[in-house]
Amino acid sequence: MDPIILATAECDFENEVICAPSNVLELFELPTLFHIGEFAFTRTSFLILLAAFLSVLVLWLGLRKPQLIPGKMQMMVEGMVGFVRDGIARDIIGPEGAKYAPYLFSMFIFILIGNLFEVTPLINFPITSRMAIPIFLSLLTWAIFVFVGFKKNGIRYFTDIAWPKAVPVALRPLVGLIEVVSTFLLRPLTLAVRLFANLVAGHLMLSLLLGSGIAFVLAVGDIGFRAGLGFIWFGVGMGIYLFEIVVAILQAYIFTLLSAVYISSSEHPQH
Amino acid sequence: MEGNIEALTGALALIGYGLAAVGPGVGIGIVVGNAITAMARQPEMQNDIRTTMFLGIAFTEALALIGFVLFFIA
Repeated sequence: MDPIILATAECDFENEVICAPSNVLELFELPTLFHIGEFAFTRTSFLILLAAFLSVLVLWLGLRKPQLIPGKMQMMVEGMVGFVRDGIARDIIGPEGAKYAPYLFSMFIFILIGNLFEVTPLINFPITSRMAIPIFLSLLTWAIFVFVGFKKNGIRYFTDIAWPKAVPVALRPLVGLIEVVSTFLLRPLTLAVRLFANLVAGHLMLSLLLGSGIAFVLAVGDIGFRAGLGFIWFGVGMGIYLFEIVVAILQAYIFTLLSAVYISSSEHPQH
Repeated sequence: MEGNIEALTGALALIGYGLAAVGPGVGIGIVVGNAITAMARQPEMQNDIRTTMFLGIAFTEALALIGFVLFFIA
């Protein structure tokens, strides 16, 4: 059964102020739909495939029969593509950034749709709140920027980071070590954790607040006046719901922007 | 005296997150404040400044969110 329904079923309405399951991590484990051999195809897997399918569908619907004077769908899709290609790829990476625009746009729209699943009424679970998607996408960005760095600058890419010439000689080993760890280890990690943590926090807050709100209001037969607490939780939950829409779009934008910044720092190493 | 720290684990996690959120809170305030000043001084650079501001917010907010996630894991 759905974890949130289970959580509210075992809720103690007399004593507790909010309905929280004993282990909040189980809010993120969705039920298995079927098994393929050893692999359990859960509802999360289904949502990931759905997000990918919707990304392709949006693009296909918008650009299927391009007219010279665009219709609404085409204008919207062209607007998004232009936003990523001009505002992110070209502005950050420079004129040759246009060749990274397909990758950046695919990532942007996949993360955007995945994040927006949090606020879609029947789905309410962002696929990026499981670490698999953020870490995989950030590993892709990492692979691209490391590969581009070495391809454009050879081994000098690594030596320029590990032995920075812009720093006094005595400090070079220390700063070099900090730079190497920061560039090759911390960058992919924080990229993934930033997206992951934002979405986990949002999903947790929405599940607890809105779930408790409804549970308290529906239990008015048992607890009488205390059901008013449900209205407070629900009101706060709706406020957070609006905020989550902003966070979803912003986090997709920031992920794409930072990927572009990392790629540009490989294309033009400034130090 | 017999003390049991096990009972305080939840409260300690909460205090830990609270402490971790002070730094990024101040940091983001500084970033956005300076961005506003810069946008007021040179309105024609608004878009570049806005992009850099988002970049700065993303970096500092990451630390606060790592703390938030660890609060739930601990």
